Amino acid sequence: MSIGGSDLDKAIAQLRACRPIPENQVRELCYKARELLIEEGNVVGVDAPVTICGDIHGQFHDLMELFRVGGDVPDTNYLFMGDFVDRGFYSLESFLLLLCLKVRYPDRITLIRGNHESRQITTVYGFYDECLRKYGSANVWRYCCEVFDYLALGALVTGAATSLSPTDGPLADTTNADSIPDPDADIEIETLNANGEIMYRYARNSDSQSSSAASQPNSTPASSSPIAPTPSRVGAAGTGATSSANGSSRNDTGAILCVHGGLSPLIDTIDKIRLLDRKQEVPHEGAMCDLLWSDPDEIDGWGLSPRGAGFLFGADIVKCFNHKNDLSLIARAHQLVMEGFKEMFDSTIVTVWSAPNYCYRCGNVAAILELGEDGSNAGFVRRSNGDAGGGGGGWVLGSNVGNGGGGGLNRRLSSVLGEQQRAREGPGRRYRVFEAAPQDSRGMPAKKPVADYFL
Amino acid sequence: MAAQEIPNLRTLLGNRRGGPSRGRERGRGFPGASHEGNGALKDNAVRNTDQDAASSRVSCVELGYLNDSYAKLFATQPVTRRLPLLNRGTYVRTSAIDLLVDQFLTTSPESPKQIISLGAGTDTRYFRLRDKYPNSQLIYHEIDFPTNTAAKLSSLQRHPQLYTKLTSNSPPNPLSVAPSATTYHSATYNLHACDLRTLTTSDAASAAPLPNVDPSIPTLLLSEMCLVYLQPSTVSAILLTFLQKYIPPPTPVALVLYEPILPQDAFGRTMISNLSTRNISLPTLNAYPTLSTQRQRMKSEGFMDGFKAADTDFIWRQWVSEDEKERVAGLEMLDELEELELLLKHYCIVWGWRDGGLEGDGLFTKAWQNVGEQEGGEPGDGLKAG
Ligand SMILES: C[S@@+](CC[C@H](N)C(=O)[O-])C[C@H]1O[C@@H](n2cnc3c(N)ncnc32)[C@H](O)[C@@H]1O
Repeated sequence: MSIGGSDLDKAIAQLRACRPIPENQVRELCYKARELLIEEGNVVGVDAPVTICGDIHGQFHDLMELFRVGGDVPDTNYLFMGDFVDRGFYSLESFLLLLCLKVRYPDRITLIRGNHESRQITTVYGFYDECLRKYGSANVWRYCCEVFDYLALGALVTGAATSLSPTDGPLADTTNADSIPDPDADIEIETLNANGEIMYRYARNSDSQSSSAASQPNSTPASSSPIAPTPSRVGAAGTGATSSANGSSRNDTGAILCVHGGLSPLIDTIDKIRLLDRKQEVPHEGAMCDLLWSDPDEIDGWGLSPRGAGFLFGADIVKCFNHKNDLSLIARAHQLVMEGFKEMFDSTIVTVWSAPNYCYRCGNVAAILELGEDGSNAGFVRRSNGDAGGGGGGWVLGSNVGNGGGGGLNRRLSSVLGEQQRAREGPGRRYRVFEAAPQDSRGMPAKKPVADYFL
Repeated sequence: MAAQEIPNLRTLLGNRRGGPSRGRERGRGFPGASHEGNGALKDNAVRNTDQDAASSRVSCVELGYLNDSYAKLFATQPVTRRLPLLNRGTYVRTSAIDLLVDQFLTTSPESPKQIISLGAGTDTRYFRLRDKYPNSQLIYHEIDFPTNTAAKLSSLQRHPQLYTKLTSNSPPNPLSVAPSATTYHSATYNLHACDLRTLTTSDAASAAPLPNVDPSIPTLLLSEMCLVYLQPSTVSAILLTFLQKYIPPPTPVALVLYEPILPQDAFGRTMISNLSTRNISLPTLNAYPTLSTQRQRMKSEGFMDGFKAADTDFIWRQWVSEDEKERVAGLEMLDELEELELLLKHYCIVWGWRDGGLEGDGLFTKAWQNVGEQEGGEPGDGLKAG
């Protein structure tokens, strides 16, 4: 049998109901997926508009919530930055659904590899056990692992707009209307809750503007590290090639590199990522490992990672890399962020985390990042997703994460505004923030997983 | 970092056995339960927490975090391997308490000492201490509900490794106690079947007898995830009974607590709601939500010569030597760093003492003078790092 056409649609429907598909279909699907993925480069090119998502970790119902909040495939163009599996109880359904969607709509969804898409990690963190439990054998796990080996290592988003066309969404009840800039202003950042209500909006270069305000209130802004002061080169991002004249006068934003973990001391240009041989298990060291394991940190240069793989890298590394590769932003996942997203180093890098209440224990919210299309902003239609619910109303950045949240916000503004202008203006960024799906809201078995604590 | 310093994942992973344990079904309440039924249900849930603690210990031992050959002798449920971050947390919890206990026993080592473990459950500390300090004059007491002491006693009877350690002289072989027995007494080890909530009488004379508790020797009270399950006023009353009746002044007495903190942030709120689905509530958590409220509490309960606290994230960083950290970090691949930090910041060790008039020269002051506490701990402080 071959999975295609209506079979594929049936499989998608079944997976959307959180029911696993039969083993022979999984084999077929994985085979198809591999054929597709093998054609992709190590760094996939993606055109804006696109919605960038972080870790999912088998939290199937929250993935459904993500689609509710961000729009469904294929209406919305998605880029998932890995860690589809492990930890949650529905790694299998989550990954297979994403894979089906990839096979069905190859141009509307991009999947790149996370450090959990690995044989070794999945045997410790749950996916292997889940496959064994659900199929009685490790075959499905093996098929999936073969797909993992073909996933791209990164993606390069081009054609993103520098400013957002503001949503006409209402203000969240907790938002102070005075703090919202004029709709004609050049909007750099907008944060919406799950109901599409505006929580924050920042205009570029305005007094109230601070990209860092959108990030975790308590983190200190990046250090004194110098930013390359030279005007940016003209050239297609990531290559040494000449200008990729892209139409709009507004678009002076560079490309956005998406990768699960971060940078590697062995990689100084995106072209070097393109040269890696990726079709293998994630190695314990080296460039490929680093891209999937590293984390940004408030240090200078490179540091040892406490994770035992990958490295820590500081603001200087990011700024230098972005400048050299004509990037305006690096988007990555990999680290739990209580607020769902966190911009660092003068908004040269952002962590996006898409698994709300991670492991059913952490109490965090999740986020996705929408980048609009240059010029038209066609990517940003206000979504009407039917029924509200699903929480989010009344949620405020900061207040949700305990005391001390809001206070840090203003403190940060001044310190960041003093920083030098960076080489490339960042793309306009719309974050949609959402909470965990109610466990029994859509006819799913209300099996509430019980997280472990120290008793 | 040189390439060869990057740990090899394959060697770090070790041999896996089973998956993380999840989806426990016991101890759930049903909505319509009567008040009394609900109370019994809750007591039952609290009693059962001990097997959680026991399995966590075994998981740690099997992976090499802890060296404790006794742990598995008490685990009645099949033990599934815990997630690396839980193993790390159990390691920190156990070694932190071990450190405080060690300092206590090695200060004036020749003089007799007493440890009273509240809600001891299947704790193995007595046996480990007997091995480590064979010559110490230690009287050890464990208190728990009769169901739990009976279970413990039957484990003690089954295993010669255990029953031969119960007395200081020639061991009874095998240990003979009535089948229905729930208590055991010897000069060194005592198992008391007792609901701690009965020790709350204000009339010292009528408090239940705890055989072999010596009112005159330096005593360490230990509550490792026990008092947190009781109402704050009940806990105060229990502590008062100990400080006035069982261990009256001027006998030096200290309390070591291990319990959660920070109930009000997102993680804390999720913890409370998750545990409530298992019928577990943590009444003192809201009463003492931070390190500083915990310190204050120690002082006002009568441990006024010292009252210190640190969360387990701090303890991992500050109390554990670099070599040991490297050893432990090498046991398992740990990819859950942010979650680990979050988790460890939500549990703390609190230690307070009354030295009995010997200001500055008291036993506990000396014993713990070099144990570093964590500054701050005002509401919100815990969120600063990150
Ligand atoms: C989570 S266990 C901890 C066991 C042990 N302290 C450890 O850390 O491994 C809590 C223990 O406290 C005991 N406990 C709770 N409330 C109690 C009470 N009111 N009286 C006696 N024991 C109690 C429970 O039965 C259980 O054995």
